[in-house]
Amino acid sequence: MQNYLVIILVAIVFFSCKNETKKDDVKEVNVYTHRHYESDQRLFKMFEEQTGIKVNVINASADELIQKMNLEGSKSPADVLITVDAGRLHRAKENDLLQSVSSGSLNSTIPSHLKDTENYWFGVTKRARVIVYAKDRVTPEELSTYEDLASEKWNKRLIIRSSGNIYNQSLMASIIVNHDEPFAKEWSAGIVSNMARSPKGNDRDQVKAVFAGEGDVTIINTYYLGNMLESDDPEEVRAANGIGVFFPNQETTGTHINVSGAGVAKYAPNKENAIRFIEFLVSTEAQKIFALSNHEYPVNEDLPMSDILQTWGNFKEDKLNLSLLGKNNKNAVILMDETGWK
Amino acid sequence: MLRIESLSKSFDKGKTFALKDVSFSLKEGDVYAIVGESGSGKTTLIRLIAGLESPDHGFIELNGVQVSSIKKMVSPEKRKIGLVFQEYALFPHLTLFQNILYGISKQKNKTTRATEVLELVGLAEMKDRYPHQLSGGQQQRVALARALAPNPSLLILDEPFSNLDAMLRAQLRNEVFDIVKKAGVTAIFVTHDTQDALTVADEILILQKGKLVQKDAAANLYTKPSSVYVASLFGNTIQLSKELQSVFECPLKADCCHAIRNENIAINDECEYVTNATVLKKTFMGSDTQLYIKLDNGEHLTVITKHSHIDDRITIGFNSKDVLEFKE
Amino acid sequence: MKQAGSSNIFSIKNRLLRLKRDSNRWSLITLFLVFLIALPVISIAFKLFDGPGETWPHMVKNLLVQYLSNSFYLLIVCSFLVLLFGITTSWLVSRFEFPFRKQLEWLLILPLAIPSYIVAYAYAGIFDYGGTLELLQRFLGIEFTRIDIMNRFGLAFVLSISLFPYVYVSARAFFLNQANNLLEASRVLGVSEWNSFFRLILPLARPAIIAGLILVLMEVLNDYGAATYFGVSTFTTGIFRSWFSLEEPETAIYLSALLILIVFALILFEKWQRRKMQFTNAKIGNQRIYRKTVSKKMQLLILIIVSFPVLFGFLLPLCQLLYWAFLTYSAVFEYEFLMLSLQTFGIAIITAAVTVIAATALIFASKWNRIGIIKNISRLGVLGYAIPGAVVAIGVMIPTIHLDKWLMGVLNSAFSYSSGFLIHGTLIALVYAYVVRFLAVAYNPIESTTLKVSDTIPDASKTLGVGNFKTFFKIEFPLIKTGILSGFILVFIDVLKELPLTLILKPFHINTLAVKAFEYASDERVMEAAIPSLFIIFTAMLPVLFLNKLLVNK
Repeated sequence: MQNYLVIILVAIVFFSCKNETKKDDVKEVNVYTHRHYESDQRLFKMFEEQTGIKVNVINASADELIQKMNLEGSKSPADVLITVDAGRLHRAKENDLLQSVSSGSLNSTIPSHLKDTENYWFGVTKRARVIVYAKDRVTPEELSTYEDLASEKWNKRLIIRSSGNIYNQSLMASIIVNHDEPFAKEWSAGIVSNMARSPKGNDRDQVKAVFAGEGDVTIINTYYLGNMLESDDPEEVRAANGIGVFFPNQETTGTHINVSGAGVAKYAPNKENAIRFIEFLVSTEAQKIFALSNHEYPVNEDLPMSDILQTWGNFKEDKLNLSLLGKNNKNAVILMDETGWK
Repeated sequence: MLRIESLSKSFDKGKTFALKDVSFSLKEGDVYAIVGESGSGKTTLIRLIAGLESPDHGFIELNGVQVSSIKKMVSPEKRKIGLVFQEYALFPHLTLFQNILYGISKQKNKTTRATEVLELVGLAEMKDRYPHQLSGGQQQRVALARALAPNPSLLILDEPFSNLDAMLRAQLRNEVFDIVKKAGVTAIFVTHDTQDALTVADEILILQKGKLVQKDAAANLYTKPSSVYVASLFGNTIQLSKELQSVFECPLKADCCHAIRNENIAINDECEYVTNATVLKKTFMGSDTQLYIKLDNGEHLTVITKHSHIDDRITIGFNSKDVLEFKE
Repeated sequence: MKQAGSSNIFSIKNRLLRLKRDSNRWSLITLFLVFLIALPVISIAFKLFDGPGETWPHMVKNLLVQYLSNSFYLLIVCSFLVLLFGITTSWLVSRFEFPFRKQLEWLLILPLAIPSYIVAYAYAGIFDYGGTLELLQRFLGIEFTRIDIMNRFGLAFVLSISLFPYVYVSARAFFLNQANNLLEASRVLGVSEWNSFFRLILPLARPAIIAGLILVLMEVLNDYGAATYFGVSTFTTGIFRSWFSLEEPETAIYLSALLILIVFALILFEKWQRRKMQFTNAKIGNQRIYRKTVSKKMQLLILIIVSFPVLFGFLLPLCQLLYWAFLTYSAVFEYEFLMLSLQTFGIAIITAAVTVIAATALIFASKWNRIGIIKNISRLGVLGYAIPGAVVAIGVMIPTIHLDKWLMGVLNSAFSYSSGFLIHGTLIALVYAYVVRFLAVAYNPIESTTLKVSDTIPDASKTLGVGNFKTFFKIEFPLIKTGILSGFILVFIDVLKELPLTLILKPFHINTLAVKAFEYASDERVMEAAIPSLFIIFTAMLPVLFLNKLLVNK
């Protein structure tokens, strides 16, 4: 009996290691990505089928990927770095991990404020961080700007995610850029005193809390709400339906947006493949998939949004250069820590 | 065949010594006993000889070859020394026969030898049993057989009988050493029981607090002990202090220490030096009676007599020939 | 003949002579093994000399107190809960007869099959808005009262309910095998069973219990997934944050060092209190315990008490996961998923084997080496367990990348062969990191079974002419088989569940079930995490149960 067990174990081991050996001259591109959506997998397959280039993927948070690339140095096998936030792309650039790319199609497809000024990275999808509110307790007229959320009238009515979340850090960075640090610090302090509860959970949890009445307003990324409305969990759908969407700062700086983007690694061993890969990501068919499957806004402004996003309509977006989000990220975190935003 | 010089071992970097400066030689073919109380260093000594510990000072020579010193250490598996452990240390997952085969697995006629040795200890019919199925005495004998099988040049037995009850002990002692003598191997056995040593050993080594205090044939140890301690190992002794000397009116040499064995003290009998005493308490001990007495000068003593009928007032005395003298 | 004055014997010269005499290859091997294990920690420690980062003062002023407070809170509350659950259940299951006792005996271990972060996701799902609890209340027509568990206490509860089996198992081993003689002696002296338990058995069981508790506490300090999800900032989340978010590895390293000190203190405390009780290693009596029969009412009460941890630590999370799996299976289940599972098992098996070999080698090499100091050093091998997985990953990356760069340089200049990374980014680096992290898990059971074999056994073998190595294979290995098997199983389970380290070091083509589950959960698709989680659980369950059989049949 024991012997059979050993044989089975050895077989499993052998089998699972089979994938290890690779030939060097297979066409491939090595992608370090923070995104892990099923739709991405489909896109990679599509790319493989169209070009014959194999896509190898390492998934980890952008921070971990940047650390990894730092340590790997010039021998890093990374070709493409994909993050879910512009701030991290900027950080990668600052760490000297990316290289500038000249590509006609990338330049013409992507609006200039959604990519790096020196072409070190390119936004691939767009998302807005919007205010959502309980339809039965708040009217859109009461809402105006992010800055207003720090005012007295929202006392103990605000639900918001932790300062550890990159999206909030970027929002904070945009406040610093659009005003200044002292203002941002005061704003952050105001947010903290308005919190109905200590920050916890992810974006969807904020929505659920507002729906259940623990708070009245919260801030989330557009695609999460889109996904909730189509969720397998009927409770999520219920909650999402009870929430209204408001695009803040329409009269002022515009709604804070961010991008999920990609850059070519500085020491990319397969540079050409990397450029083709990114170009593919902003191609029409790829953008359609991002939009439809994941409710992200395409960067290609000619392309339509998903149905749900269309119901929310167009909005004025904050056109500040997204590199600034990265430049101010650290300060943002420190200010948030100082004011006790957990 | 074994020579030990200035052997010392400490387990706490020199604060205390388990063995201090021990030196002696052993002859081939003889049976030696190492006698000492717990803590005297006897286990350390045999572990050093077997190669299971290494010395801090001095050396050990086996058949003329140095095996332990501060520069060199021959590992135990190369020494051809058999060791019978106090707890037998039989391999629990092997049968008796396999246990014995273990040490001779490379020999040509190993099964014959194993059978031979198993028969020698009288356990041939149990060869396929496991150690936990045997009694203490039987395990003892298997351990002996296992140690003898490889024909060691030296056999060491560590307190071989201390786990056994009194009757079994005496019986086994005789059996075991018959076997040992028959095998003709040099043997050292360690014990805290002087009776064992006296019965079996050609020479006895006395260890006290890590030092070798005397090495001699049994008879000599008895009649010419080198210290009160050695003397007291072989029976109760009473030290003859100056006060006692004056009570008995027995002046002795001043620069020595003196004692008298209990069995040489005469109760109600004629002797050279006598005094009177009162019996405070009698304890019946079978063939002897123990008396707790008070001398006329107030001192208390405990003595043993074979007289069955004792009055309250007795005379107690001894002869000068029985006085033991040591240089202190 | 030299006069043996004690100052003479222990002079430097003589000490050096003896050192030379006593050095053998095992000393070198032990040192080498310890060095390999300690290398990641050393790499990190060296980086300490770069000083803490610029945000260190900020960290100290604003965050450190919070980290300390939360981490200590967790340590204390979890200790309390884990001891409560673990000791109660192990004693009741050992001492009393009650219906379903046999089944509960192994059910109580099952919480170990569920990674604690998955238990966290499940509980969050149950107590969430629109979660199972709310649905149930609505179904029963009760007014919805929300119980918020996403806080310190909730986290402590979730961690305790999923980690208490460590204490359960070690306490039970003691009670089953050692308690009977104590009980009998105590009862004969007129002491009631209740008092006997508290005054005699429990104190003597302390070393075993504390050993289990230390494992739990190290897991608590290591946890990242659950703490982050519940929004509790601990040392570990702080380390991740400063390492990755603030981009200050120096600060993160300082935090790691602090964390290591805390764990170190715990370990030293355990060793110290174990030394004081060394007599418990001796044979107190190895009789199996007799089980008491009690009234039906008592039996029912016991059944309820014992079922509580099983319910909350295993059944409840499992049901929640099954519900989610039911909702999402069509989206998740595919052929690739099976490949993923096979890969996961393969890696876990390889790692378990290597770890067990490394642990055994370390234990025995340090035994066979004759130099005292080195014998004590071998214990340092267990330090890896105290270090959070992600930090171990970074700690492994530093030397392997250096080594790789050197190797590649050599290959290039000597053979003009330009290669990519040879070690970093491969299975080798990953397994190496796992071994560093999980050595303790194999080391402890193997060491404890080795200690049970009296030293005279291998001594006897040596006097019979058999050297160290052969003695091991013929004598010691057969006698410590259960320890080795336990070690193998425990490492296997731990690798199945491991997350942060795997995330960072896994090679391109490899993915594991744990990573998959985490990806779903952190992607706000926690329901899809159910199926990979269930796979982990069902795979871990079998060895867990097998292990239990081993322990009970000893």
